[in-house]
Amino acid sequence: MVAIAVLISVFGDFSSYETFASAAKEPKKSYYIIGTLDTTQGMQYDPRVDANHFTFFAKDKAGSKNKVIFNGEKPRDIEKSEQIVMMGYMDGDTFHCSKIQMKCPSKYKKDQIAVGNQG
Amino acid sequence: MSATQFTGEHLWPGQLGHFFVIVSFVAALVSMYSYFNAVRHENDPALGRTWLLLGRGGFMLHTFSVISIFFALFYIITNHLFEYHYAWEHSSYDMPSEYLLSCFWEGQQGSFMLWTFWHAVLGLIVIKTAGKLETRTMAVVALVQVILTTMILGIYLGPDIKIGSTPFLLLRHAMQNAPIFAMPNYMDFVKDGNGLNVLLQNYWMVIHPPILFLGFALTLIPFAYCIAALWKGDYQSFIKPTLAWSLACGAVLGTGIMMGGAWAYESLNFGGYWAWDPVENASLVPWITLIAGMHTLLVFRSTRRAVIITMVLLLLTHLLVWYSTFLTRTGILGKTSVHAFTGDGTALTYHLLAVIGLLLALSIAALAIRWKGLPRIKTEEATLSREFWMFIGAVILFLASVQISVTTSIPVWAPLAKWISGKDFAPPTDPITHYNNIQVWVAIIVGLLAATVLFMKYKDTNGKKLAKNLGGTAIVALVLTGLIAWGQDIKTWQYDVMLFSACYGIVATIYYGITVQKLKFSKLGPSVAHLGFAAVMLGILLSAYNKHAISLNTTGIPFNFKKNTDHETMMENRENVIMFRGVPVAMGDYFATYIGDSDVAGKDKRIYYRVAFERKDTATNTILERFMLYPDAFINPKGQQGLSANPSTKHYWDRDIFTYINSATDKSKTDTSTYRSHIVQQAGDSIYLANGFMIFNGFSNQVNDRRYQPKEGDLAVKALLSVYDKFGVKKDIAPIYILRDKQYIMQVDDTVTDMGLYARFGALNVHSKDSASVDIQVRQTDPMDDFIVLKALVFPYINVLWLGIVIMVFGFFISLGDAVSRKVAGSQVS
Repeated sequence: MVAIAVLISVFGDFSSYETFASAAKEPKKSYYIIGTLDTTQGMQYDPRVDANHFTFFAKDKAGSKNKVIFNGEKPRDIEKSEQIVMMGYMDGDTFHCSKIQMKCPSKYKKDQIAVGNQG
Repeated sequence: MSATQFTGEHLWPGQLGHFFVIVSFVAALVSMYSYFNAVRHENDPALGRTWLLLGRGGFMLHTFSVISIFFALFYIITNHLFEYHYAWEHSSYDMPSEYLLSCFWEGQQGSFMLWTFWHAVLGLIVIKTAGKLETRTMAVVALVQVILTTMILGIYLGPDIKIGSTPFLLLRHAMQNAPIFAMPNYMDFVKDGNGLNVLLQNYWMVIHPPILFLGFALTLIPFAYCIAALWKGDYQSFIKPTLAWSLACGAVLGTGIMMGGAWAYESLNFGGYWAWDPVENASLVPWITLIAGMHTLLVFRSTRRAVIITMVLLLLTHLLVWYSTFLTRTGILGKTSVHAFTGDGTALTYHLLAVIGLLLALSIAALAIRWKGLPRIKTEEATLSREFWMFIGAVILFLASVQISVTTSIPVWAPLAKWISGKDFAPPTDPITHYNNIQVWVAIIVGLLAATVLFMKYKDTNGKKLAKNLGGTAIVALVLTGLIAWGQDIKTWQYDVMLFSACYGIVATIYYGITVQKLKFSKLGPSVAHLGFAAVMLGILLSAYNKHAISLNTTGIPFNFKKNTDHETMMENRENVIMFRGVPVAMGDYFATYIGDSDVAGKDKRIYYRVAFERKDTATNTILERFMLYPDAFINPKGQQGLSANPSTKHYWDRDIFTYINSATDKSKTDTSTYRSHIVQQAGDSIYLANGFMIFNGFSNQVNDRRYQPKEGDLAVKALLSVYDKFGVKKDIAPIYILRDKQYIMQVDDTVTDMGLYARFGALNVHSKDSASVDIQVRQTDPMDDFIVLKALVFPYINVLWLGIVIMVFGFFISLGDAVSRKVAGSQVS
């Protein structure tokens, strides 16, 4: 009995990988979105104005592009990332993101660098 | 391709190493086969003895070979033989020598070797101590050694099937398509290796992996004894050694896990000691099942109950170590883990799956064959018996491990779940709450049980006496809880319950140790270990509940039961603060000022940022306390762009102030300031600076500066300058002016990095024999061009946590001493 209750509560917490479009169906609910950096559009980060505000555009797996606001410092090598996993929620037409994890190709090794505000 | 004759290579260490890899594999195989036959011929003393000796000999040869492999690889690394892929990938010339050893365990093959090495050493101890159970136990140990050595065999069965990967792979074989390897003298171009990941250049990297792997290795021995017991059908003789080995494993693995936590806390910027990261979880889960199994083994020793769950838990513990290897080494956690482990392709995945399948099948088969004969007791346990509550505790621990495993394994089962349900499962967006919702209650219940069962007796307990003991304990604990909850402002009721559980544990174990055990040292193990556990709970609660970012300058509760809206979470997470050089920023009780960075990047290209913390009495404006913190970072470390930071922490007895750099200016790019001239004539003339002033003290022709190499015919003069910053702190500098061969002018600048100041002796104008004027050119970087983004956290009472762990491990060792010295296995304990 207890075991079943534990398992149910465990599963209830799980999130899912979504796209910008599917995350927008439930605004303000957090999901993970896997995508890539959209290099055709600029990114903004000025720590002198706000050290916790980084804006960029990302392209999700479905190919749609969206504006992303990350509440944290700009991950330094995001330009080189080949994949980014973003955790956050849609609000209006912007994806608010509190955790970013990147996969970066280096010459021979694949390294991952994670940036997040919570452990 | 015709065989090219390569020059500059040293092939013999690799060939020797590979030879020993093969010997170690074959020797383990021989040992396993011989021990197996020794069991078969047990009833024939002469023949059985022969096989036994052969088994031992094989295992010793195996151990010798494993050590030889170590030396061969160590020779390659210390001599910087970059023709070997392992040395090239994990070491470099500029690496400090103490890290050369850590190259071993940075890589896949090296960590398998470390694991093999510990198994071999433990195997030798088993040979010495196991007595009648040696043959069966060692057959299992040798089997696992056979399996482990296949991980570093690196042989090909056909063109596509590779078994293991050798640490002695040549660079030119690892990257066959790179054009450089078409040249026979390619070694002339391979000047340096990749070096150790800068994040890992830390003394924890030297000591943490060997201890953690010893802990992993120790799980094998209880596993082997359980199989041996099932094999023999003897459930008595295995109890004593299994208990002793489990205790040793609990102590070492526990130490290893928490060293990982301490490492994360002290030098990685995860912002704490535990993040429920999959890699951390993967090592915690086997520890939990081990602890559960150890306790049910105690139940079995005293009551003959619970043998099945004991076997299951202890067998599972070792299997979980393999599973954790699978999770962390194959790259399957790629999407969910912070740790930068990378996959070694599908070969390793299938290899590890085959191993887990094999060991699982062995465990299940052994249990299934003996299922009917396993000792069982038909009657129910008494409700007031120790075994009943210990059993409950073990089940709770097992459930805790189930939750952690299921969540950690999301990437493993998600593809199947997607196929069934169409939903693409991801980890919880708020993992901390996810785990706390279960694990806090696990801690509360286990904490209460751990203290309570000490007062209980096996079979049955006198209820009145128990109530008297526990009632008193509970009242004292309740008072203590009230005081701490009030003092620390702990308002969430769930955490007040946890606090009570911890206080109850502390009071009960001390009370039990003094009044019941009368401080008899050899018996104190359980109470000391349980006291440690209670202290760990208290330390976790106090340090995490009131952990707060002072760089944010407000207190936010980082984890709680009510779910924050995501927006609130984000606001709480705005913990970074920008600090311009020289501008104080309020942080909690402190004013923090970024003063500047270290003069030059160190040998390892690490830059230290100097941040001064001051605490002032606001009424009198006197400084009560002043200290410096030096968080550091590697700017653009090898192979990647960006910043890799290490924290710096100020320790107080009751709290830590923990800071790390999140961003910093890249000096090489942003400095746009220029030199401005100031003419000075007499000693005492002053020059005003943006944040202080400078006094000219005259000339000197005594130029002894390592930046200047005198030459015949030089005229060298230095200007003596005293620089005072705005606090009135004086620094002397002396820029040099050189006239070489009466025609070339050279200058050597001097700097005050704190102030971003560069001074140059621009020109010397001689007016008459006694009078000359000097052009002092001064450049100051704009403070606004020099900033860091810092995060500062306060962890209150974190020392309680570290102390608790030390106490707990100490308790394990006392129990281990007691278990080893116990004369008759299975004697009754009260």
